[in-house]
Amino acid sequence: MKKLLEIFLSILTAMGGFVEIGELVFAVNAGAKFRYSLLWVVLLGTIGIMVYGEMSGRIAAQTQQPVFYLIRERVGYAAGLGTLIAASAVCLLTCAAEIGGIALILKLLFGGPYRLLVVCGFVFLVLAVWFLSFQWIERVFGLLGLFMLVFVFAAVYLGPNWPDVAKGFMPNVPQLETSHEYLVYGYFCVALMSSIMLPYETYFYSSGAIEDGWKPSDIPMNRIIVIIGFVLGGLLAVGLVMMGAQLFMPAQIEPQLPGTAALGPIVTFGRWGMILALLGMFFAFGGAAIENALSGAYNLAQFFGWPWGKYRAPKTASRFNLTWIVIFILATVIIITGVDPVQVVEYSIIAAVVILPFTYLPTLLAARDKNYMGSHVNGWFANVLGWFFFIIITLAALGAIPLLIITHGGEG
Amino acid sequence: MNQDYLDMARQVLDRLVVDCNNVPCGRVDDLAIEGNPGTELKISGILIGVGPASNRLPELARVIVQKVFGKRRVTVPWSEVTVITDHIKLKSKANDLGLDETRSVAFKIISSLPGAWKK
Repeated sequence: MKKLLEIFLSILTAMGGFVEIGELVFAVNAGAKFRYSLLWVVLLGTIGIMVYGEMSGRIAAQTQQPVFYLIRERVGYAAGLGTLIAASAVCLLTCAAEIGGIALILKLLFGGPYRLLVVCGFVFLVLAVWFLSFQWIERVFGLLGLFMLVFVFAAVYLGPNWPDVAKGFMPNVPQLETSHEYLVYGYFCVALMSSIMLPYETYFYSSGAIEDGWKPSDIPMNRIIVIIGFVLGGLLAVGLVMMGAQLFMPAQIEPQLPGTAALGPIVTFGRWGMILALLGMFFAFGGAAIENALSGAYNLAQFFGWPWGKYRAPKTASRFNLTWIVIFILATVIIITGVDPVQVVEYSIIAAVVILPFTYLPTLLAARDKNYMGSHVNGWFANVLGWFFFIIITLAALGAIPLLIITHGGEG
Repeated sequence: MNQDYLDMARQVLDRLVVDCNNVPCGRVDDLAIEGNPGTELKISGILIGVGPASNRLPELARVIVQKVFGKRRVTVPWSEVTVITDHIKLKSKANDLGLDETRSVAFKIISSLPGAWKK
């Protein structure tokens, strides 16, 4: 019974923690610009993160080795250090964007000067990580992030054209007017895929497996959490695309702010819709900020072999703890300068695509190594899916920066 | 291990080092090797720290890293190594070898905060 409850809570936290500010902005915008035609990218990205999330959780449970242990061992010191620097930069930028998102939500809820609210968000996050255990961080932010489901209910309430929604799940390129619009479509394919497969998710998931004390006997549980939790999380992203298509596309609105995205639940459910949407976004962004700050600290500690983990007393893992505090401070400083958090997240998502192959290749190589994984080595199906998604993310990585430049960040 | 040799580059270099209590205390950043051309070479120790790690970087990166983070290096005698698996286990405690957390600036900052002792 206790195990079932643990699995149930883990599924809900995986689902509630699935969406962050980048995914929210790109998914709603994808719907507003291209109606349902990018739903297949959401499906592809969700399967991709399931494949690599499952592998990283299985490796952690079997070998007690999280992702950045593997990166240094499998790609060597110099290439590993390059990946570490890039991954740290992405975690920092994503954390900054989430803190900016939190401040925007607080402003909508309570009003007040934006910079003061950024500082309030920073203090709240630091205190939460310092005083809550790992399990409570996961549960509080994951479960309360489930308020985001109001976006799915709003999307359904707005009366989607279900046959067109179903067609959107088949890979397609819509009829567009100019060649430039096709490039914008390509940019959204890459950005949406990256926002779903952000590398910090595997860093955090595999480190979290060790924080939770997973053993090889937990590998079936890992599979259940990944399959059910991430599929349900993917549904949230689908709901956001549908809402963009049904509400913003007919009105020719391109929602650039998280608050604009909340218009969907407001239009459909009124005041309570607004409160649920804002609370959902607050906890989803808060959870993502924490996951990014902790992922940055996990990566550094694992790469250099420092003691790490929330399960240790902070002074016995002092470098790890100081690192996540410094990431929060730097992220807050970036946002306090006045940069637009949505623009920050756009750049961080495109930078994330570029490091995805360097994160996923060591994971795949380790998961298919029989000497390393024993009886829990990848089967043929996991290998085929692993290589398929590795090719996809490598192509996305090659196209990401040119598309960002040519399309001016998807603005055409 | 089911092979009759030890591949130092693949099975030792860059592996996690843990002390006798399984506390992580660094990575094998480099190896100290004794001997002369034509004579038998002997691994005398493992090197841990930013100094030996940065020596493996390209020249410009090495100079920058050493200017910013210094050249700290701890040599752990090879006789300390008890187990080589996916990590390297040592006989002694981290603080007996100069590899514990208390030597870092981070320890001074973190240990002064309320609740730093609590799991």
